[in-house]
Parts: sequence; structure tokens; C-alpha cells
Amino acid sequence: MKLVTAIIKPFKLDDVKTALKAINVVGLTVTEVQGFGRQGGHTETYRGAEYKIDFVPKVRLEAVIADADVDAVVDTIVNSARTDKIGDGKVWVTSVDQITRIRTGERDNDAI
Amino acid sequence: MAPVLDRSAVLDDQGLRGRPFVDAYTALVDHWLVALFDELYDDPTGVALLATGGHGRGELAPQSDLDLLLLHDGSIDLERAERFWYPMWDSKMKVGHSTRTIAETLGLASDDLATATSLLSIRHLAGDAQLVERLRDAAEGQWRKQSKRGLAQLAETVDLRHQTTGEVAAALEPDLKEGRGGLRDVHALAWILAAVPELDIIAPSSLAAEYNTLLDARVELHRVTGRSGDVLQLHDQDEVAARLGIENADVLMTDVASAARRIAWASDEAWFTVREHLNSSGVFKRSPRRRELGGGIETVGERVELGEGVAVDELSILRVAVAAAQQRARIGRRTLEALASAPPLPEPWPTEARELFVDLLEAGTPAIGVIETLDLNDMWLPLVPEWEPNRSRPQRNAYHRFTVDRHSWECVALAANLTGTVARPDLLVMGALLHDIGKGYPGQHSLVGMDLGAAVMRRMGFPEADVDTIRLMIEHHLLLPDVATRRDLDDPATILMVAARVETTDRLRLLAALAEADSIATGPSAWSPWKAGLLAKLAERVAFVTDGGDVGGVITDSPATTAQLELVERGATGDRPAIDAHDDRLTIVCADRPGLFSRIAGVLALNGLDVLEASAHTSGSLAIEEFRVVSAFGNEIPWSKVEQDLERALLGRIALEPRLAERARSYQRRRNTGRGLEPNVRVLEHEASDGATVVEVVGPDSVGLLYGLTRALADLDLDILRAKIATMGSDVVDSFYVRDRSGAAITDEADGAEIRTALLHVLKRSRA
Repeated sequence: MKLVTAIIKPFKLDDVKTALKAINVVGLTVTEVQGFGRQGGHTETYRGAEYKIDFVPKVRLEAVIADADVDAVVDTIVNSARTDKIGDGKVWVTSVDQITRIRTGERDNDAI
Repeated sequence: MAPVLDRSAVLDDQGLRGRPFVDAYTALVDHWLVALFDELYDDPTGVALLATGGHGRGELAPQSDLDLLLLHDGSIDLERAERFWYPMWDSKMKVGHSTRTIAETLGLASDDLATATSLLSIRHLAGDAQLVERLRDAAEGQWRKQSKRGLAQLAETVDLRHQTTGEVAAALEPDLKEGRGGLRDVHALAWILAAVPELDIIAPSSLAAEYNTLLDARVELHRVTGRSGDVLQLHDQDEVAARLGIENADVLMTDVASAARRIAWASDEAWFTVREHLNSSGVFKRSPRRRELGGGIETVGERVELGEGVAVDELSILRVAVAAAQQRARIGRRTLEALASAPPLPEPWPTEARELFVDLLEAGTPAIGVIETLDLNDMWLPLVPEWEPNRSRPQRNAYHRFTVDRHSWECVALAANLTGTVARPDLLVMGALLHDIGKGYPGQHSLVGMDLGAAVMRRMGFPEADVDTIRLMIEHHLLLPDVATRRDLDDPATILMVAARVETTDRLRLLAALAEADSIATGPSAWSPWKAGLLAKLAERVAFVTDGGDVGGVITDSPATTAQLELVERGATGDRPAIDAHDDRLTIVCADRPGLFSRIAGVLALNGLDVLEASAHTSGSLAIEEFRVVSAFGNEIPWSKVEQDLERALLGRIALEPRLAERARSYQRRRNTGRGLEPNVRVLEHEASDGATVVEVVGPDSVGLLYGLTRALADLDLDILRAKIATMGSDVVDSFYVRDRSGAAITDEADGAEIRTALLHVLKRSRA
């Protein structure tokens, strides 16, 4: 089992959600976050001080999925979140040791 | 095809260092940037690319940010301009980028100090050169026009920066760029001159050699770490030195400290001048107040100056220095220049010179800055030529806070506060100045220093009896602190040994005051209320003897308190150990058994407690063990948990060894804290009077070390009577008073060698 985490531009959230739904991802957690990357949170035509770092609002998606679905999910997020501009975000995958569905007590792949 | 940046040829060319490197590297990067710009703009009318800040100065280090401004006149297509930056981001270069018009840039600069100063070193890279010149003129003009506000703000940020980063010359791990005496302080000098060109300050160009020393180190630091960040950490110092072709890290850090001291001094001078300028440039200009101090010396504002037309003689330097220290003032630049032609003092010095020198040392903290000024202007070494190898000499460990020379001056300033405790204040401050003079020479510094110190004293014309006292102070400056923290102060042999070495109470008082000043000046881990208490106790007892008293009169067995008797009673009758723990003391009474001491030490270590000292007595089949401890994290001591653990451990129901190993892993101090003390074990036969042998262990501190050492002693069937633990930075000195099973001292050489082998093994294992 894997945890897929993605940081994306907020206005792309709907596109990504729709695309993930289409490949049968059944659960998604979304958080509003802020951060900066290589450009220090600046746009291409930033007019402020060069050395300053600004936080940019972003959305973080998290989905726990089966190992077999990793490539499809990552590709889907990348394709649906891409604008080809700076600040499109990142996707990373981490291993998950155990999952339990609270209501039923189902474990691991059954609980996805 | 977008132009590609290949940095490896320049980055890997070890022949390129320092200035030639930044020249070549900046040129390479700039060439690439120009190609990118040219690809985007066939006709660059109304748009230009320029470098600002350090990039503008042409001083890119391997991990520096590129500071770039795409300057335009408002007529360009901004969407097209966006494309300029993508190749840079794709190349993983760190870029500070912005796209602005001249008006936007000036507006930002007027609100933002860092932008204003970064515009003082702009450099045209590509495009409309006229646009860049217009910005340069306007930005520099604006900086001059707003100089008062700008300099006041800059002064504040400089102070703040110095407070947060510390001194490059003193720090174990200096920040080459932002530290006090770092590269940034030289940039600031240029910014001051850009604001007020007529101000008489030391120009950055006359600090070129010092600046390049720091620049060299910075470039290699970036190459070694592959990361941005300008703190020259201990573990990188050897490699940076090697890459620069410098023989070792000590020499590198001496060079860095020397350069930083000169920059810091020039920076202090400049900001002092700026503040004078800011205070006097109001509507009502007034000239600084003059006050005659006598002897042809006057204060002008907050500077000490030689009066107009006053002739410079061989005493002038000392007179001016004493006046500056006593008035807490700086020595004026004009006066410093005049003093450079002062004739040397005759040898031996006349009485007045000696008295002035002592007055300078007794002036306290202000003397430190004055002596630094003398040293940086070549007027200190002629006074104390033996000082030379100690200049800017780093100590490179966690125990010492300062270089050798600065440490000595700090020690003098602290000693000046203690002159009330001694009969000869002049000898106290001279001893403080000279106690470490042997450090820059090969050999044991306290022994090497004796002759050096004596030579200084004789040149200054001190009588031979005083020279002898200084020799003793240098030789024995570590005697009191070492004995206080490592020996049993209740043992008459300890007191008699110290009394025999110091001979008189006057000398004892001098050594005690020197020990206090020396410890405080060394650093936070060299002084504590615990150590102060031990030193006071030792000095008091030795004084009783040197005043003619009998040692038996000062060391008396204090009768057991009822609480102690009650504890022994409980221990004797109960089947469980009797434990009393409060404040920082732990007393345990229980049936004697081998390894008792190490088990207790193990439990204390498991609970994050450091042992300061311990003693053990036996009474019949009972053992009475007393421990003084301190919480390693300064927390309240969780005695009830410690007591539970102790009860279980004494029953053999705690696996101490693996649990300590686990704790050691959690608290592993991987960080290199510099040169530690050489691990060593000494077996000393004749230092204790009650048939005990002193075993002194020196090595790097680690979790459970005391447990390991005492367990090894128990394995050799040795009883530990007393133990004393002195922590010195990342090292520890453990002293054990031991006896063999039959109650005898260790006299057999082979037995002594076996003890050494066993304990060295523990030291080695705990270090791995």
C-alpha cells in the first residue's frame, strides 16, 4: 500500500478530483496549505525584492492506494494538474505499513 | 536549442581558487545568461538584464544565488519576458529574480534597505545599457539623498546581524559572510561611502587582503559542502585548509581570525564615525566637546586624541591607551597615525611605563578594545614581543570560547574586578595577561610560559621577587582548578600538596583569583557554582595551612547527623537498601557487594543524571554510598523514579548494559566538537594519604561512561572510596580513589598497568 501526496495549484483541484474519480480512486483527503519552492514563491514577473521568500497558497491531496495503482494515480495527477508554468507542484509516494477501516476493522487492501 | 550551462570545468578546476575562481565562474555564468537573453530578444530596446548584490560585484561563489533584475521601460511584452527565467530554474540554479521598471525599482529601494544596497553594485549584463545607467545614477542618487535614514537603518541591521551571528575571529564555527568581521562588513563600508563619500573611514580597498582571505575560504567551503551557507564548520575546516594549500586547519583559522579582526576593527571605526556624523549633521551643527586630560592628551567627543602640536615620546602610546581605557573612549585615527612614529621604550622600562601598563590592564573591560586597537596598529607586539605566536591563535574546541590572545585579555579584564582579593593587584593582572603565553610555543604551555613570562616581566623592570611570583603563577595557573575538581579536598595530603607548591598565602590568593578569571574567560562550561564552591573550599583550607595552621585543624570529620544515623539503622535492619535522596544528594545504605558503585552510576546515567562526586564508606558489612549529581538537561531530578530503579538495579533486575547502550544511541553526539583531550589513564600512588591510589581518567564524555569505568574497576576487585567527575566541554576527567580488596594501595607496577589497560579499553569502546 502506498500513500500518494500531491501539492497542486488550488484552481486545479477540481480537474484532479474528476480525473482521479475516473480511474476509480475511492478516497481523497484535501488540505489547504502554503509553501514555496525553487522560485521562492515568486511569479515569473515578480516585481519585489529578489531575496524575499513568499508563501504561496496550495492544496495538498492525499490518497492511500494499492501498490498496483501507483503509476496510474501519479500519472493522472501529473497530467490533470499540469499548467506548464512554475508552481505546478510535486507528487510523491510513500510506503504505508498498515491501514485499518475504523467502522469495520478491515485491514490493509480491504480497507482502501 | 537553449544555451546550456556547464559549470563542471570551472568548479572542478582546483587551480582556480578565491578571486580567480569567482572571476572565472561569474564570467561563465554571465556568458550563459547573456546567451539566454539574446535568444529571447533580437532587439533589446527598452529591456536589459543586470546583476545586483554579490552577483553585481562579480563575486559568485559556487553556491551563491544569482541576483538578477530584468529591467524594462514598460513597453515590453511581459508574457514574453516570463520565458526568460525557465531555463535557469530548469538548470537548478538558485536565482533571485525580478522584473521591474526603473520607477518600480526606485520605489522598492526607498522602502527596502536590502534592495537599496543591492542596487549599489549593479552590473549590466545584456540589453539596453542606457537603461541600466539611468537606474544606476538614480539609485545612487537616491541612496545619497536618503543617506541619513539609510545609514541609521543600516547601522541597526549591522548591530542586529553581529548579535545573531557572533564574531568571526572568536567563533569555533564562524559565519564568513554575516559574522562580525565577515565579508558583509566590508560591503557595508562601501555602502557608507556611497552614501557620504567625504566621510573619513577605512576604504574597502585597503582591506582587500583580509577580504580575499575570507573569500578564499568561502569558495572552498561551498565546493566542499556543495550547499549554500557560509558557516565554516569544524568538520569542514581540515578539507578547506587542504584545498587552499594551507598546512592545517589551525593555520587556516588563524588566518581567518586575523583577517576578521582587522575587518571588525575597521567596521567599528567606520560605524563610530557614521554615528558621529549622524549626530552632528542636524540643523544646529556643533563641534564635539573637548576636554583636557593632562599630559598633552584630550578627549574630543568620544575619542581620545593627542593635543595639537604635542610631541610624541616613548610613553605616548601607553599614556593614550590608559586614557582611552579609563575614559571608555576610542583612540582617534589621527592620533593612531601620530603614535606610529613613537620611539621604542628603553629596556628595562622606566617606572612610569610599567605603572601605565599596569593601569591599562587594571582598567577592566574597556582595556580589551584598546589593546585590540594597539595590536591591529602594530603597537602591542613591541610592548610584549613574546606575544607573537599567540596572535589570533584558535583553540578549536568546545571548551574555549576565544582565541588565545583574546582569552588572555578577557582574563585580564575579569581579574581587574578581583584585585580587592589580593595584596598585589599589579601581579594579578600581569599573571592574567601572561598565564597562557606559552600556548603559541611547542611543549607544555604552563612550563614553556614561565621563561617567556619572566622575560616580559624583566623587560618591564619588575623586581626579581615579582618575576618569581609570575613564574609560579604561570606554572601553577591550573593547579587550583585541577585539584579542586579532581582531588579529595577532605584528604590532608591534598591540602598539604597544594600548600607546598604555593608556599605563601599571598601567592595562593593570586592563584585563586587568576583561576576564577581564567575559568570564566574560558567559556560557560569551565565555570559553575559547583566549581566555584570547590575552589573556595580548597583555597580556604590551603590558606589555613600557609598561615601556619596545622592541617588537622581545618579538616575535621563532621559528626554524623541523626538523619544519617537513622538511615544506617534502616539499612542495617531492613532487607531492602535504605535510600535518602533530596536536592542534588543521594545516599544509599545497603549490604556491601562488588559492583555496587557501578550499578548506582548506571541507574543515574539512565535517568539523565551526571555525577559530580561520590564517596563510599563501609561500616562492617554495610556500604554507605553518597552521590552528588546534576541533571544533564537542567531539569528537576525525578528522585522517586530513580529510587525505584535503584531498588530494582541492586536486586539485579535491570539490564543496565543494554539499556545504557540504547540511551547512548539516542543521545549519540556525532558532531565533531573539535580537538578533545587525548584519552589517558594515570595511576598516581602518592597523592592520597589514607592508603588509597588515585586513578585519573581523561577522555571524551559519553552516556554511561562512569558506569563502564567503575564496572571495570570492580572487575579488578578494586574498592572505590571516592570519585570526582569534572566535565570540560565535550571531555571529562574522572578521578577515582581506589584500594584493593585487602585495603591496600596499588603499589605493584603490573597492577597499575592492568588498571590502565582496562580503563583505556572502556574509553575506546565508548568512543566507537
